[in-house]
This record gives sequence, C-alpha cells and structure tokens, in this order.
Amino acid sequence: MRISVSLFLLAVASTAAFAEAPADFLNAYAQEAKQQNPGYKGPSPQQGQRFFTSLHGHEWSCSSCHTSNPVTAGRHEVTNKVIEPLAPSANAARFTRQAKVDKWFKRNCNDVLGRACSAEEKADVMAYLLSVK
Amino acid sequence: MKSKILVWDLPTRWFHWLLALSFAGAWLTSESERYSALHVMLGYTLLGLIAFRLVWGFAGTRYARFADFAYSPAKIGQYLKSLASRSPGHYLGHNPAGAVAVFLLLALGLATGISGWLTYNDIGGEAYEEVHEFLANFMLLVVGVHIAGVIVSSFLHRENLARAMVTGYKEGETDAAIRQKRGLVALLLVAAVAGFWGLWFNGNLDSLVSGQAEAHAGYDGGHDDDD
Repeated sequence: MRISVSLFLLAVASTAAFAEAPADFLNAYAQEAKQQNPGYKGPSPQQGQRFFTSLHGHEWSCSSCHTSNPVTAGRHEVTNKVIEPLAPSANAARFTRQAKVDKWFKRNCNDVLGRACSAEEKADVMAYLLSVK
Repeated sequence: MKSKILVWDLPTRWFHWLLALSFAGAWLTSESERYSALHVMLGYTLLGLIAFRLVWGFAGTRYARFADFAYSPAKIGQYLKSLASRSPGHYLGHNPAGAVAVFLLLALGLATGISGWLTYNDIGGEAYEEVHEFLANFMLLVVGVHIAGVIVSSFLHRENLARAMVTGYKEGETDAAIRQKRGLVALLLVAAVAGFWGLWFNGNLDSLVSGQAEAHAGYDGGHDDDD
C-alpha cells in the first residue's frame, strides 16, 4: 500500500514537472523530421488532415475514433466509450505531457498503420490539430 | 507410508489456471485498442477470481488456507538458504517462497485490477494509468520468478509441481491428504466465470465497457451491471 501511495505521488509530481505545450510537440517533431531529411519543407496541416482521415492499410483511420472534426468528442470503435476532443483548441489537456503523447502515438500508430509514425507524419498531424478551431 | 495423495482441491486448481489465463490474456490484449473490451473483461475476471480466492483462503481445504502458508520472514529466509544445501526443505503445500508469490500475486492482481478500473472509468486522474502499468509490469516479474521457482523446486525435490496444480495429487503420507475435492464449489466458480464471459460477449454488460450506462442505446436501466 505504501508503495502504491508513493508511486501515485511520484506520478503526480512527474505530471507537474514535465508539463509541455502542444506547440512544443509540433516543433520537436518538425525538428526531428528536418534532421532525418535535410530537404524537409516543414509541417503541413493539409497533409496532416489527409493523414488523419485516411486508412493506412488497416481497418481504422485516426478519425475512426477521433472523428474527422477533432474539436468534437469521439467514440471508441470497440468499446463505444466517449473520447474527449483531440484538438487543443477544444481540450486544453491535450498534448501537455511528453509521456502521455509518446504512449498514445505509439499505441494508436500501431493500430492505424501497423508501425510507428514518422516524425514527419506526427508533425503534420500536430499542425492539423493545432489549426482546427 | 508414502503414496499419491490429494493436496490441492478443485477450486484452488481452477482458480490458479483461470487466474493465469486472465493475466496472460490481459497482458496480450494491452497494447492495442482492438482488444480493449477483452482486456477490460479479463480485468474484471481477475478481480472476481481474486475475491473468490480471498474467501477460499479461509473456507478452503487445508493447503488452500492462508493459515497453512503464512510463513514468517525468518522461515522464508531459512527455506531459501536450504535450497542451496544438500537437504532442501520440503513442503507438501505451498513452500515459503511459493507462499510469498501467492500473497504478492493476490495483492498485485487486486491493485492492478483496481487501478485499471479507476483508469478506465476516468476516476482519480491520469496518475492511475501509470500506476496500473507499473503494477502490471511488476506482476509479470513476480509471475516470472514464480515460474522459475516452480521449475527449480520441481527439480530439487524431483516432483512435478505444475502437474500437481493440474491433477491435485502429490507424493506424501496418507494421513496428510485432504479428504474432499470440493467439486461443487469449483463448478460454481467455473460457471460464474463462464456466465460472466457469456453475458459479456452477448452484450449484456456493455455498460461496463462504454463507461456510461444511460447513454447506451437499448440499455434497460436495470441493475445488470452489478457484476
């Protein structure tokens, strides 16, 4: 019990200590994409939207659960559970913590693409999500 | 006189393997959203099984009772030391190291299930998500040590402990045997798990999955979500 309490406190403390802003993720992914490809032209909201709403060889797109209008709440394809809006303009809690963002990009990219997303893809999606109001 | 004697009653054995199955299943369904309903079902199953085991730890047969394997830290140390000696300590029921695994796995299973439930139902903030993952990893580690211990102990004492958990029988003195298999209790346990899974796959328990009973179309407002 004492272990779980201290773990809880640790988790709370790390939440406060590593708080990020959504734009930080956009910048970090864009920078990473630039490093991987010197000809990289920068993130594109249009490309991000296309990526977000398209199928990638598997049964779901990002928009299957998050809807093609990410300022609205979505629904989980399997459990029917409500998913809070993904766009930071509609949900201030989104993209504010590195560990959470890393975890969910990893899980969801695996489900949607069957692989990890590239920095370029993530930068485009961030640009798209930051552009919708 | 040594002979094949019954040591593990049926409910204890079914509990053990259903718990192993639920934990393995929950682990394998944890990485994809595709399996999240299944993951939640297995979490409930695990919690229900542990609730049963807590009762059975007092109401079960001799070797299933907590009092039979509540060893002091000194005894546990002594047993572990004896494993490296020429005459490793032998126990008919859970040995002291196995007992540690049992208590740890029960506690971890309970804590993992509860933290998972809190996470899934958005209670208590996001912190429980990481607590849940940490506990599940820790539990996997204990499972690994438990399996390694079973293998080591099986070789040291030349008895197949895993098989004993299937058949219920070990080699021992005739008067150390338990007298009853408690088949009816085992049947009720298995029927409860099977019934729960049946209702789950039939969609009767969808309110547990979607986390919102009222919003679900076709939900009759009854109390069928009481598990």
